[in-house]
This record gives sequence, C-alpha cells and structure tokens, in this order.
Amino acid sequence: MSRTKWIVLACTVALITGVFVVLASGGPTPGVVDGDQFARLQTDGARVLDVRTEAEFAMGHIPGAENVPLTRLAEESEGWDPSALIVLYCATGSRSAEAARMLSARGFESVHDLTGGIAAWDGPVEGPEQVAVPPEQPALTAVPVMYEFYTDW
Amino acid sequence: MVDRLEKEYEGTVDILKMNVDAGGEAASLASRYRVQYVPTFVFVNADGTTADTIVGEAKESDLRDALDGLR
Repeated sequence: MSRTKWIVLACTVALITGVFVVLASGGPTPGVVDGDQFARLQTDGARVLDVRTEAEFAMGHIPGAENVPLTRLAEESEGWDPSALIVLYCATGSRSAEAARMLSARGFESVHDLTGGIAAWDGPVEGPEQVAVPPEQPALTAVPVMYEFYTDW
Repeated sequence: MVDRLEKEYEGTVDILKMNVDAGGEAASLASRYRVQYVPTFVFVNADGTTADTIVGEAKESDLRDALDGLR
C-alpha cells in the first residue's frame, strides 16, 4: 500500500476511535446541549449561569441558576476555575452563545450552552411571586392595548 | 415593525413598549401578565381581559392577527 493510503487509513482509524471515545464518555463535548443534556449536566454539578439581565432573571429562571448578565461576565469570571463545568443559557440562545465563545477564548475548558435558551426549556421555572390581582379587570382604557415587553440588551 | 404598527393602529389600539429593566410600572405589568422572558407581546381588550400573548420574536402577520382580534 502506498504511503498516502497508509496516512489516510491511519486518520480514518483515529477519527473513528475518537467518535467512539466521545460516545462512550456519556457526556456532550463542550458546546451546545439540549434540555436533557442540560439537566444531566446540572445533576453532575455544573455551574448554571443565566446571562440575561437582572430584570429578565427576576421574571423567571431555571432553578439553581446564578444570574451573571453577559455585560458583566468577563469581569465576574476573573478568578474562576477554568476547569469548572459550566452551562449557560439566555432567552433564546444568542447571548449564551456569545458568552460561551467568550469563556472558551479565556481558557475555560468545559462550557456548554443550552440550545434555544429558556424559551425552549420545558422544565421547571422559578418565577416571582405573582401580583395578587384578579384575572378580569374593570375597564382601564378607552381602547385595547398591546404591550411589548423588552430589555435594553 | 412595532413602530409601524403603532402608527397604523393609532386611535384603535394603544401600543405600549415596556422596558422591564426600568422597573416600576413595566416590572409590575410583567408580573401581572406572567411575562417570563422577552420579547413578549400581551394583547389586552378594552375591558381589561387578556386576549392573547405572543412570546419571543413575532411575525408581523401574527401581531396583526392579534391586534385585529382585540375588542
């Protein structure tokens, strides 16, 4: 067999072996995870970070999550153990993806990111105590209203 | 898009933007309507009843359908 064919064969074997190692490890490689993988990571002791704003966090968050807004993540992650298992989420996944890239670039080795964010999460959510008002209100305005709730981010 | 709708529905529907980071009334209303993440659009009839809620980025057609359903 020619030298080139040996190299190709060796690379193929290495690739297949790598795939088996990952599958056998039982856990996701650092990167995007789904809800089930997120829950397993949390059970395994991962530090769960909600990178939305404080107001968004107060409206509702995944139980056990710490709120570290994306705007403060760089500063607050100084001194963290870079080998720590970290899983991130935000509202829909864009901020947490940016947060994951930031932490990985700073040397954090095991950073995972919940795909779709809390919007796609179908597990329990801790929210604020609801305002005690009846669901039906007397007429408050002369016309109907559409509220758009948003944040500065 | 919302700015355009605001102009089109002026006089028919009040379209109000609520920045939840600002606290105050926005936070109070977010709690009342059980808003858990943003953006969320809440449609309230003139009698105060909630007609519809759209969570996340919304298509203009969906917003229009909800606006047209208000009474």
